[in-house]
Amino acid sequence: MSTLEYFEVDSTEPVGGQLYRRIASTVITDHNLLKVLERLRIFIDPSVPVFVAVGITRTVPRTITVSDLAGITYDGQKITLAIADETFLADLLQILWKSYGKDQVSQPDRFTIEILTSGDAASSGIEDLAVADPTEGLFKDLIYSMQVICPEGFRVKKQNFHNGRFWFVASENTLPEDVTPLVDEQFRIMEAAS
Amino acid sequence: MILVPITYKGGVFRHDEILDLIEDMGGYIIQKHMIAQEVVLQALIPKEDIEILKTVSRPLAGEVKPAPLVGTEIAVVSMSLEIHHLPHASCDVAEYLRTAGAKTNMIGLARGFGKRIGLLSDEERDIINEHDLAIYLFGNFETCIKEKMPTFRRGIQVPIVVCGGPTKETLMKIIDPPVAGYIGGLGRFMHRTKEPHELARLDEIVEEVSRVIDQKRIGIAKDPLSVTPARLMDIILENVPAIHEVTSPIPVVVQMDGTRIKLPYDPYAAEIREIEIEAGIRIADVCDIRPSRMRDYILLKVKPFSETGMLV
Repeated sequence: MSTLEYFEVDSTEPVGGQLYRRIASTVITDHNLLKVLERLRIFIDPSVPVFVAVGITRTVPRTITVSDLAGITYDGQKITLAIADETFLADLLQILWKSYGKDQVSQPDRFTIEILTSGDAASSGIEDLAVADPTEGLFKDLIYSMQVICPEGFRVKKQNFHNGRFWFVASENTLPEDVTPLVDEQFRIMEAAS
Repeated sequence: MILVPITYKGGVFRHDEILDLIEDMGGYIIQKHMIAQEVVLQALIPKEDIEILKTVSRPLAGEVKPAPLVGTEIAVVSMSLEIHHLPHASCDVAEYLRTAGAKTNMIGLARGFGKRIGLLSDEERDIINEHDLAIYLFGNFETCIKEKMPTFRRGIQVPIVVCGGPTKETLMKIIDPPVAGYIGGLGRFMHRTKEPHELARLDEIVEEVSRVIDQKRIGIAKDPLSVTPARLMDIILENVPAIHEVTSPIPVVVQMDGTRIKLPYDPYAAEIREIEIEAGIRIADVCDIRPSRMRDYILLKVKPFSETGMLV
C-alpha cells in the first residue's frame, strides 16, 4: 500500500483493526484501485456496530469523447473514424447508431467506422461526442470494494462520491438519517494527519 | 487390535499389492484417490503392522505417514458462502484438514453473518450434529464472537472448535461456557494462506482438532462401539451393489461412531438394516439407521457395547 499517501484502519478493537487493515489492503490491490486512491481511512466500531470509510481519489479522469479514441477525417458528407483504442468501441457504436441511425453507420473493417451525415460532416461536432464516463465505473468499483471490505453483516449502507471525495457508511442496525457527523469526523482525522 | 490412521502415498505401479496387504492385515481403506500417476490411500491399519507396510512400500517408492484425522467427518462451518469468507479462509481450512486425512464438509450458513442478526436454522444445526466435530470460522472482532456464540452453539452436541481473529486467550475468555478447542489469529482474511506463520496457524488447527478428536476417541473407548465404523463400511461395500453406482468420490463416509451412506433412504434403508454382519447379527441390531439431513442419505450410528451387549 505504499502508493497511498494516507492509509489507516482504525477500530475500537486494535487486534481486529489490524486484521481489517490487511483485508482492506488485499481488496484494494485485487480491485486495482491503488492508482485511483490517494487517501483512505476506515473506522470500525463493532460494538455500535458501524463501519465508516472515507477517502480521496486522485485526479478523476474526464469524460471520454470520440476524439480521444479515434482519428477523425471529413469528406463532404462522410465522416471516417480511425479507431485507435478499442476499449470503448462497443459503446461508441451504440451511441453512433442512436444519433445517426444504423443505416448511416458502417464498419468496413475492425478499426474503421464510416458515417454518412445529412449536412456538412465537419460541422457535426462529432469530436466532442461523449462516449464514456469513467467516474461512473470508478465510483461503482470503489463502493463495491468497500462492501467487500466491510463485515458481511453490515447490510444497511449509505455512500456518496463527489468531487473526488467519497464516503461509505454501513451498519447492521439502521443508520441515522444524517450520517454527516460520522463522516466529517473521519475526514477531519484524515486531513489532520496530513 | 488397535487400528491406527495412516496415509499412503505412492505410484500407481503395483499399488494393488499395497491394497491387498492392508486388507490381509485386517486394515480398512477409507479413501483411495488416484491423481495422475499417484495413489493416495487413507487407511486404518493394525498398529503392530506399520513397519511391514513401510518395508513393503519402500521398493515402490511409497510413503507411509500417520494421519490423525483419518476416519473422521468434520464440519467446517462458514458464516456464509459470500466473497467475504470464500475461498479464504473457509476453503483453506477445509483443504488443509483434508491433508491430515479428515473428510471435511463445508457448511455455509444461510444467515450466519452479523453479530445480532446471525442465525442458525434447525436444518443447519442437525447437519452439523451429524458430524464428529464442528469448526466455526468466526470473524475478527471479539465483540461479535461473544455476542453471536450463544446462538450458534444452541443445540449443537458435537465438540466445537472456534477459529477467530482475536488471540486464543481472548477467545477462551469471551466464550462461556467453554468449547472444546480454540484457534486464535485466524479470523476473516481475503488472501491465500501461504506465508509460514499462516501455515503454522493451519497446523495449529490440525493439532487442536486432533487433540479434541483424541479426547472423543478416549470417551468412545470407555464404552466401545459394537462394531467399528470402518468394518461397517466394508460390509456395506460388499453387500449393497448399488453403492458402486454412486458417483460421489466417497460413497460410504466413515465417521468416528458411524457411517454416512450416500444412497437414498427410502429404497435402501430396509435392505441395509437386514444385512448380516456376523452369524445372526444384523446391522439393525447394532446400529441406529436414520435419514440424514444432508440430501437424502442414510446415516448409521453404531450403538455402544453397553446398549447392545455385543462386540462384533
